[in-house]
Amino acid sequence: MEIVPQLILNSIIAGSIYALIALGFNFVYGATKFFNLAHGVMAAIGGYAVFYFAKTLGLNLYFAVILGVALAGIVGYGLDKFIYLPLRKRKASNMVLLVASLGAMTALQAVIAILFTSRFKTISQNIGTQKLFEVLGGVITQTQLIIILVTALILAGLVFLLYKTLFGKAVRAISDDEEVAQIVGINTNKIIGYVFFIGSALAGLAGILVGFDTGIEPTMGLGLLLKGVIASVIGGVGNIYGGVLGAFLLGFVENFGIWKISGEWKDAIAFTLLIVFLIFRPRGIMNK
Amino acid sequence: MKILETKNLMKRFNGVRAIDRLSIGIEKGQITGIVGPNGSGKTTLINLLSGVLEIDGGEVIIDGIEKFTRVLPHQVSSYGITRTFQNVRLFEQMTVLDNILVVVTERNVFGSIFEKNIEHHHKISEEVLQKVGLWEKRNQLAVNLSYGQRKLLEIARTLAMKTEIYLFDEPFAGLFPEMRKIVASIIRELKQKNKTVILVEHDIGLIRELCDQIFVMDEGKLLAEGEPEAVLKKRSVIEAYLGE
Repeated sequence: MEIVPQLILNSIIAGSIYALIALGFNFVYGATKFFNLAHGVMAAIGGYAVFYFAKTLGLNLYFAVILGVALAGIVGYGLDKFIYLPLRKRKASNMVLLVASLGAMTALQAVIAILFTSRFKTISQNIGTQKLFEVLGGVITQTQLIIILVTALILAGLVFLLYKTLFGKAVRAISDDEEVAQIVGINTNKIIGYVFFIGSALAGLAGILVGFDTGIEPTMGLGLLLKGVIASVIGGVGNIYGGVLGAFLLGFVENFGIWKISGEWKDAIAFTLLIVFLIFRPRGIMNK
Repeated sequence: MKILETKNLMKRFNGVRAIDRLSIGIEKGQITGIVGPNGSGKTTLINLLSGVLEIDGGEVIIDGIEKFTRVLPHQVSSYGITRTFQNVRLFEQMTVLDNILVVVTERNVFGSIFEKNIEHHHKISEEVLQKVGLWEKRNQLAVNLSYGQRKLLEIARTLAMKTEIYLFDEPFAGLFPEMRKIVASIIRELKQKNKTVILVEHDIGLIRELCDQIFVMDEGKLLAEGEPEAVLKKRSVIEAYLGE
């Protein structure tokens, strides 16, 4: 195993996870323009749902994954319906919405910890026996390969949805000017509800994939969210392509940054990158 | 028949009455001008009728039956009302064509994802974009259009909605003569189709040429109403509006 090819592979794997989070986050941010901190906890909900359905109830694994993704989507939709929508109707500022989402995140995280304890859990059913693939001199597990493929598929699907369907046009119209979107007859609250469902389901999927790759814990969402947010900021907040570009850039900088030093520096490197962008290019790479 | 009425309509900004107990009635199928000096409350009235601002008092009556003390933006189109803005508001990051397509979109999500009636929608979009001469620019982003083209696209968007009542807030301002002709002919065509047009305009020549009736506003109140020729001769109107 050579070091550089392995670092490249690790970067791509990390980038894919961050991209998946950033895609959902940007999708929601684009339509609502507020910083939904509860986005990350959807990842934990997805992961724990699979743990519960597959390991505790013994359901078919694929079925459990579908249920997990759907549950994360439903919880996200519910948050919008019962918390964010009433606040938006009262014309609450984005700061109020951000604080509300912080509350929602903390509460949901606590519920997960109460139900499943705070201990680290694995959902992978074939630890140590996973198929390994050799790619360009590096090693990648089957789960990691799936992560990369799923991210590519989700990106293609989301781009299709946003740019090739009338639903996507309505989402982009809301993103441009919500008030005018309402006046021309778009039911913006309904569309935003669906946006929350899709964005949260994507976060749930990311959580499930991370769960298979490493494992799950109730607070996993915050770490993932922060990486997704860094990816979004350096790529361009609200920009679908920007988020993905930022995610892979972050993956590469993180993994190559720890080439010669301890892995614990990863987060320090990630946040340094964020600060550099905030100072020198706050709009991100893609936003004009 | 009155298609749109206001009764004692009120709007205050920091205690100042921007619209002061305004009661007007708009005839169906006519072109109605709203005129008055700057700050007289014309745009505020349009904002109240389109739900952009909340009503502080009084009511809006549509078709003589439906009464509202609060007009919500997303319900405006279902009342058959559409509008343009004094400062054009487009979906900037979308193409010219998408700016139109999005208003003829399916109202249910699955219909909009699978684009059931896409050919019909494209036909409507082509029709209205041809009318304002922007069909050739259909693949350009709205943000890259010239000022006049942006105004025309906004008008095209209202046409695509095929509503009963059109609120145009200074549609001629800043347009070249050729474009003014297009807008004037669109307004006349709407009247031929028995649609109702409410026109906020400063150009008295255009008001005389196009409007069937006008309302003159001053400091949020109704100063005069009637046929343009007669109203514009009134001494009080001349004093308030022209400052003579």
